[in-house]
Amino acid sequence: MDDSDGAEERFTELAALEAIFPEIKKHDDPSAVSFSLDLPVHPSNPITVTYPAASGTAELTTATLTGSDEEAPGAMDSQVLAHLPAVNLRLSLPEGYPAERPPSVTISTTPPWLPLETTKKLEEEGPRMWEEMGHNMVAFAYIDHVQQAAENVFGLINDDGTLGVDPRHMISILDYDVRARRETFERETFDCGVCLEPKKGAVCHRMLECGHVFCTACLQDFYKTAITEGDLAVVRCLTPNCAKDRAAAQAEAGSGKRRRVRAFLSPSELLQMGLSQEIVSRYVTLKYKTELESDKNTIYCPRSWCDGAARSKKHKKPEGLELVEVSDDEEAEKSDEKDDKGKKTKKSEDPSERLAICEDCGFAFCSRCFQSWHGEFFLCIPRRDSDEITPEEQASIDYIAHHTTSCPTCGVPSQKTRGCNHMICFRCQTHFCYLCAAWLPPASPFEHYNERPDGSRTGCYMRLWELENGDGNDVGYGFLGGRANNRRRGRNQAVAVPRVREVVNVDDEDGPARPEGDDQQQQNAEVAVALEAPLVLRIGGQAPPRDQQPRGRGRGQGAGRPLATPAPPAADQAARGGRGGAIGRGTGGDFRNGGRRIPVRMRGRLDDALHPADAAWVRNFVEMALNDEENSEDSDDEEMPIVAPLVH
Amino acid sequence: MASKRIYKELTECTTSPPPDMKVCLWNESDLHTWKVALAGPASSVYEGGNYAVLVTLPTDYPFKPPTVRILTRIYHPNVTNDNLGNICLSILKPENWKPATKVSAVLQAVRQLLVEPQPDDPLEARIADEYRNDRNEFEKNARQYVTRYARGPPVFGDAPPAAEKSK
Repeated sequence: MDDSDGAEERFTELAALEAIFPEIKKHDDPSAVSFSLDLPVHPSNPITVTYPAASGTAELTTATLTGSDEEAPGAMDSQVLAHLPAVNLRLSLPEGYPAERPPSVTISTTPPWLPLETTKKLEEEGPRMWEEMGHNMVAFAYIDHVQQAAENVFGLINDDGTLGVDPRHMISILDYDVRARRETFERETFDCGVCLEPKKGAVCHRMLECGHVFCTACLQDFYKTAITEGDLAVVRCLTPNCAKDRAAAQAEAGSGKRRRVRAFLSPSELLQMGLSQEIVSRYVTLKYKTELESDKNTIYCPRSWCDGAARSKKHKKPEGLELVEVSDDEEAEKSDEKDDKGKKTKKSEDPSERLAICEDCGFAFCSRCFQSWHGEFFLCIPRRDSDEITPEEQASIDYIAHHTTSCPTCGVPSQKTRGCNHMICFRCQTHFCYLCAAWLPPASPFEHYNERPDGSRTGCYMRLWELENGDGNDVGYGFLGGRANNRRRGRNQAVAVPRVREVVNVDDEDGPARPEGDDQQQQNAEVAVALEAPLVLRIGGQAPPRDQQPRGRGRGQGAGRPLATPAPPAADQAARGGRGGAIGRGTGGDFRNGGRRIPVRMRGRLDDALHPADAAWVRNFVEMALNDEENSEDSDDEEMPIVAPLVH
Repeated sequence: MASKRIYKELTECTTSPPPDMKVCLWNESDLHTWKVALAGPASSVYEGGNYAVLVTLPTDYPFKPPTVRILTRIYHPNVTNDNLGNICLSILKPENWKPATKVSAVLQAVRQLLVEPQPDDPLEARIADEYRNDRNEFEKNARQYVTRYARGPPVFGDAPPAAEKSK
């Protein structure tokens, strides 16, 4: 036998192999006939692959957590794989083969997940078989042998049915499996349950959760319509009773952890089906919204233009297209609920937890009183829904709406007990007008009520002394304090029970014992009690010296006395006596020295419309009339001076 | 897609109809309106009755559920006791409807409802009460209805009644 014979035999063998394995690759090798071939490793049953921490190849007997082929998300990673990366077989038939020289074999895998020993053993088996077969053509027999060995993964499976692989290769092994599965899937044919047509796997989608297969055209059509119409509940598997059956199956299997069966689809799965980005992001947004709305504990931003939800641990705002899942774990949820309840019943909740931050506009506010965040050490009154409010409280709220004006800076409602309409907020020292809640320049607060240098007038022109006797029940409802307009604010008709501070009169030098005034102050005292509020307002400028003597009862008391509990307006007799005058800071202001009181009670812009001469006459007339009345009623020194028009 | 699927389903239902049923189109030109003749299931109180059932498939079927009405008067907790014969079937509610449900499955559910009324989800509360509390009376009444209305061949009428959704 000569070389050419040998070469002949080798080429014959190669040709035969090529007929059997068309995917054979030939290599240019001058010294030998050389070719290679990928042999897939598809275990007859899917196999659980574990990744023992011990790297290297020797230690394969590591115990694993799984005995079944169930995926066990445990301490150790493990997956059930149907496809392992193919074994690459490279055969070289040297000169002299098969009569004199054995074939040489190289075996490799990408990644090298096969242990070195195994590859070595396999490689050695080539020459050994050649020997056994009496130096005959052995290539096909050998390839077949390796293929068979691959079926039980070269005997690498442990006693517990798992296969240990170096953790370094985990990702690529997984990746290979996914790709291989996909390819197999694409070659298969499925009957889509919606259009009832047989479809190639390539245009189908297998539901990740339940494994049902539909054609992507049907899925896209259906989910697109559903999401566009906002019908999120139907965005789930299209098979009848799918979730129910799975739940039943799971209950039957009695798996230790009772995970709730997930029915809805993940956004990424919808993208996989080929739905447009736009639709999927609509899905994510709607889903999140529904989730928030179904949670009674969701706190919304009090800013009426925002309406965002407060950040919460339970519901994470979706980022991009990823829907952050609410924990599916029923148990976890239960314990959460318990926590919640525990917190509700416990009085000593952590005040810092009241801080809520709006997800959308970043507004930091108190989840209890829905005012902007006031720090932990501030006692605030919870906002309540309107149906929780008792008639007494409602009466208080109505009273506040009717008879107080809010400071334009800090919003604290203030009530005037008597005096002029120039107010100074006790809390923030803002000067403002009691009638229209406008800011007043501290330097020239009375310009608001006079003609301005340029001749223009405000709606409050000549109304400095309107409501002189205070804004209270007996004054009537004619003037709806500045808050009336704000009453509608807040969602669910929730009403903030605001803090009200007592008003201290500016102009009290004459404050005392007018029967009328006293009566009214008492009224106000009751009101303040009803409003459960600390006391606030101070009015006016500097006190003229002669006012410093407190006169009459109750004077000088009560400013800033907080009242802890709400009481019906007429109930708290005791508090009444205690507070009395609610006066105290006798401040009259220079304007008083002018002695101008213009108790004109005309409403609106009548003044503005009048000719100056007529206006003067009207004022005179009214003043005289009032004067008479006062003179008869009021024995104090206080008689209204007859007054010329207000200072110009 | 819709008409292709409907055509397939129709073929399936006519060649191998669900038990006790005969299926055909109301008229050949309209795939969406089906006539089903349903014989009262044996050993139920409706045995011996012949019921005219109207199945209407919406234009976006199978994405939206079909509607089913029993045109023949029937004494049943889950079927309105009137000429409309609206029927309460949970798989047909829009929120429960699954596009992979076939008409034949729906028809079988209708039949099953005759075998086993669901008094807990009634359309006729009075009949449901009677079914629960006085089964004899219920059966007597149901049989009376069978004799009075459902003896002959099922009567469909000339034209399909306008679809009305009562519930």
